[in-house]
Parts: sequence; C-alpha cells; structure tokens
Amino acid sequence: MRESRSGRRLWPALAAPGTLWLLALFAVPFYAIAAVAFGYPDPIFRSPVPEWDPRYWDFTLFTEVVQRSLTGDLRPVFVRTLLFVGLALLLCFLIGYPVAYYLARYAGRRRGLLLALILAPWWINYITRMLAWLSLLQDDGYVNDALIALRIVPDPVRWLSGNPYTVVLALVYGYVPFFIVPLYATLDRIDSRLLDASRDLGVGGFRTFLHVTLPLSRSGLMTAAVVTALPMFGDYFTNTLVSGSPTTTMIGNQIEFYLLGGSRKEIGASLVLILSFMLMALMAYYLISSQRANRETS
Amino acid sequence: MAFHPRETRGPLIASGASPTRRQFLQLGALAAVAGTGVLAGCGRERPRPTPTGEQIVLSRPNRPTRLPLHSDVPAIASGLAPEKGGTLKVFNYAEYLSPDVIKAFGDKNGVKVEITTFTTQDEAIAKLRTSGTNFDLYFPTPDILAKIVAGKLLQPLNPSYLPNLRNAWPKLQDPFYDQGSQYTVPYTAYTTGIGYRADRVKSVPTNGYDLLYDASHQGKVYILDDYREALTMAMLRAGQTDVNTEDPAVIKAAGASLASLVNAVNVKVGITAYQLVPEGQADVHHCWSGDIVNAQYYLPEGTGAEVLGYWYPAHRKGAVGTDTMAIPRSAQKPVLAHMLINHILDNDVALENFSFTGYQPALSVVTPEKMVADEYVAENLTSAIVTPAHYTDGLQELQLSPAGEALWTDEWAKFKAGQ
Repeated sequence: MRESRSGRRLWPALAAPGTLWLLALFAVPFYAIAAVAFGYPDPIFRSPVPEWDPRYWDFTLFTEVVQRSLTGDLRPVFVRTLLFVGLALLLCFLIGYPVAYYLARYAGRRRGLLLALILAPWWINYITRMLAWLSLLQDDGYVNDALIALRIVPDPVRWLSGNPYTVVLALVYGYVPFFIVPLYATLDRIDSRLLDASRDLGVGGFRTFLHVTLPLSRSGLMTAAVVTALPMFGDYFTNTLVSGSPTTTMIGNQIEFYLLGGSRKEIGASLVLILSFMLMALMAYYLISSQRANRETS
Repeated sequence: MAFHPRETRGPLIASGASPTRRQFLQLGALAAVAGTGVLAGCGRERPRPTPTGEQIVLSRPNRPTRLPLHSDVPAIASGLAPEKGGTLKVFNYAEYLSPDVIKAFGDKNGVKVEITTFTTQDEAIAKLRTSGTNFDLYFPTPDILAKIVAGKLLQPLNPSYLPNLRNAWPKLQDPFYDQGSQYTVPYTAYTTGIGYRADRVKSVPTNGYDLLYDASHQGKVYILDDYREALTMAMLRAGQTDVNTEDPAVIKAAGASLASLVNAVNVKVGITAYQLVPEGQADVHHCWSGDIVNAQYYLPEGTGAEVLGYWYPAHRKGAVGTDTMAIPRSAQKPVLAHMLINHILDNDVALENFSFTGYQPALSVVTPEKMVADEYVAENLTSAIVTPAHYTDGLQELQLSPAGEALWTDEWAKFKAGQ
C-alpha cells in the first residue's frame, strides 16, 4: 500500500485523543501520586507537599512501606486480598461461564431480554444494593429465615459478624456481570461450524467443550478476569459494609485508612504506587498472553 | 483527633492489587533500586521551607496556650452594621447544624445561608488554604487550632458581638486550647464510652470497657473505627490515663489489647453505633455520647429506649471532646458570621440545634435533669449528657508530634491488618 505524505501525518493524529486521554487521566495523576509519596511534609500543616522535581525525591518512606508489604504487617493484608480476589474470580467463573454460554448458544430470541436482566441491577447504585443486602443478611433477616425454614441450617448464620465468606460472596455479587458480558461476547463469536466439525469427528459434547469451546474462549476469559479483578483489588467499601472485622481487611481498606483516617497520606500514596505497579504487571501479563492467543487463533 | 463523631467517609477511588510471587520479586527489585538510590540524581537535599519563627505548640489542659495574634490578620471593629444580602457561607461537617436554625437566622437578617460540608479536618484545611475559596463560619476541633492559627487561616473574634458566650461552660469561656477565646467559641461537647443493648447485657462491670472483651457477645462487638479513640479505649481500660502519650511501650500494649479482641469476640470496627445498637446488629459498641442520643431515633417500631444503655466511667476519667466555631480569615461577611455564632450560642437556639444533631451544646443550660424533663434523652441515658465536671475530669485526645502520630497510626494499621 502506498502512503501519501498527509496519510503519514493523519494516522498518528487519529491517536491523539486517546493519547491525550491517557496523559490527562493516567500519567498526570500517577505522577502526582508519586510526587506525594516521595515529597515532604508541610512544616506548619504537616500535610504532604508533592515534590514535582524527581531530582529531590525522597524514597525513605516508600522503602519502609515496601518492607512492610514484603515482611511486615501489610503482608497478610496483601495475601488475604489475593486470596479473596482469587476465590471470587473462581466463583465468577463457575457462575458466569454457564450463564454466558447459555446466552450465546441457547438463549435465542430471549437473548436481548436476558442480557438486559443481567445488567438490570446496574440501574440501582452499588452502595444502595449492598445496604439492601445488609438488612436481608441480618441475624433475623429474610435470608436466615429462609435457610431455617428450609432446614438448611439449624441456627441463624452470622453473615455480618466479620465473616470472610460474606466478603467473597459480596465481591462476586458486585462484579459478576462484568465477568459475564465480555465472556458472552467472545462465546457468541465462536464459529458454530467448528463445534459441528468436532462432533462430526466423533467427539462428545463435554470433550468438545473442553477441547474446542474453552480454548477458543480463552481471550474472553482473560478479559473477563481482568475487568473483574482490577476493581476487586481496589474495593474497600464492600468489606467495610458487610464485615468491618480486622480478619477480613483488604489492601483497599489500609489505603483508605492512610488517606482518610490518619494524617499520613504519604503512606497511602506509597501503597497506591506499589499496588499500581502490581496491577501493571498483571496487565502486562494479560496483554502478552492475549496477543499470543490472537496469534494462535490466526 | 483522627475521626470526629461527624466524620463520614464517602467512596474513595483506590486502585490496588495483591502480589503474586513473581511480583513480590519485582517489588523487591524495585525496593532495592529505591533503597540504594540508583535512580540517577534522586534523593538530593533541597532547601525546604522552614517554620518562620513560630513554633507549633501542642496545647494541653495543664499547658494552656494563648494563640498568637498576627498584625496582618486583624479582628473586625466593634459596632459595624451587618452585611446586607448575598450568601453567608458556612463550612461544617454534614448533619452538624440544624437547617431550621440557620434558615431562621437567614430570614431574620436577609441573607441566604449556605452550608458546604467536609468529612475530615484535613480536608477542611486543604480547602481553606486554597486561594479563592472563602467561608464565613467554620467548625474546627481544638487539636488543630495551633496550626491553622499559625497558618493564618482564622481571624480573631471580636467579643463585643458575642454576648451569648456567657452561656457557655465557664471553663470554655477561657479554654486551655485558646486562652482568652481569641479565635474560637465552644460549640458542642461529647464523651466516648460504651453503648450497649441493655436487654442483652446482663450486668455492666465496674470497668465497663470489659463489655467489649466479653466473649458472650461474640460477633456483636464493635469498636470505633478511629485510631485515637480505639487505642485510647484500650489504654483507659488498663488504667493508663495519658491519652496523648508518645511512649512506644504504652501504645504497643494498647495495640496488643485491641488485637486480643479479634480472637475474643471477632471484633469489628465501625462508626455507625447510632444505627447498629438500636437495630440490634451490635450488642456492645464503643461509641460517642451523641451516637446513643441519636440511637433513640433509630429504634425499630415497638421498641423503647429502655433497650439502650451508655456507660461512661463513674470516676469520669474517660475520653471527652469539644468542638468550636471560628471565622476564617477569608470571610466576606464577618459581621454576620459573628451574629450567627452569637445566635447559635443562644440557649433556646442551641437546644433546638441539639434536637437535630444529637450532639449537645457546651452550655450551662444543659443539665441531665433538664434534658430528661424536656425529653431530649430517655431517663436511662442521662449518662450520655456531658457536664462541666465531665469536661474537667475527662481526658482529651489532642495533637501529637509527627513522630508520636506515626506510632499511633502504625499500631492501628497493624491491628487492622488482622494477623
């Protein structure tokens, strides 16, 4: 293809809005957080003063926070966060995959309606929905009434008394539609002739799923996992609402404490930086593997 | 103090992630880079602004402070006519001033009164420091006064506009944190104690803090989500009364005491005692006196206030706090602001305001007997009314040095990590 001189300028220009967007909403705030984390306290007000000039950055505090994250009091919080998000993702997969599969392959004319129903809770504010769950999950709430009436449990379940399962379930509840929608989009694009071919070759339904559908939906699964996991990692209000126990503290809660509860915002900024680096590592892994998946499919 | 009874927390966008093993390694590498200062040129010394002459004094009841006056920040002259028209801007915690009270004041003086809210004093200070913003009336806590006066964010008050200051507790007409009431007048007073369900607590021990450690309330015990209040509670329970201590051993012991609550009762942290106790989600909740006053209005239908209880140490060596009103330097309507302060210090107006906020004014008119007779609180909750004697004997959580502050916050973070 021959490129004209103007074309060479046009294509990069088309990327400009995206570049500006990235600069304004990611690079600048990120730099600001770094400037706070590596800055110094105001002598009178003691609030952190951002140091914009990297030549004067002070890493003492940041190093300390990294130490605490690796071996100190923050380590169990990181481990717990990873565990909770991992469990929640697994549940999202177990719940979300069948739903997305059904939507893509068997829902037929009702597909639009079902998708709308899945997204319907999003018409109500997240906090409002969680508050509704709080009254349902009370010791004498409807959930326990139902469980006791059905003789599933003999005594009320203490859902809200610092129960880690409640936190994981709440995370799943909060984010499972984010999992379903991208997965559905991928499953919907799988060529049904490939599945027919698999059956023609004498492979059963389950093995077809395992060897054809599942590998082909890999990129969708990756997207769904990333889209669900990122907000879960930073979530702190779900935890605050349904638990509040130190045994379920996630890293978002510690960040919230340092940024809002105390007078040491620079530690909160350092934690945000550490977590951002980890998320970036996660994103890099996702980008590399999705590229590889694309190469394999094409 | 870290959290104020009126502080609420809105959603904050925080992004975070947990590490995999490989990320831990990457992080370690990063730390090494940071630690050894390999990043070229980083970590150089730069001349920092230093406090000019004035030292920030940590005021204490036994070490009263006369806040400095600045020649470039004068008080308004006496006898000025109130400003006409426009908007009087009030800067306060949410739900901390009765809308009826300010509406009545606005109607009488031909001004629109507008409330802007903040959630923490840190946030409020940041806003007051932003050039171009102006507020006429602001509600600071005593612990931050030294720095905001040094930072010239407040203007001195002119007492000739404030005859109602005589209604305040005598001790607060000349408080230790602002001798001579140069910059502030008192607003509310509260204690920190133990709120409980009287119908579920068999008997209250002499050391009422033990209720929080009682295993029979497993899963139904809350402490305040506030590092100063929570650690102070543990100190007071152990008989340690210097609640502004910077002794690492004392702070550590308090942290260990809190940590023991995790196994004993699976303790939870929260700041909504006014809801959780009346609704029954909490049996025992470390809380502010205002919480239990407000709890009366959150009781389910058919449940009376007799199910509520509030314990505060009988010897009155418990946590106590007061709030103040002040006029920012940037005020556009300082005369009207003085008049509004005087209005809020009026006995009847203050009581009307109390019935809205649940936090009592620090005025002599408030006595436990009168509050029960006038039905502000049920008879079994008179312990939630603060008297001048409570204030004199009580212990206040005040500003710490930066190093002390770090000890307290880190101890709390360790407790919250729940290991």
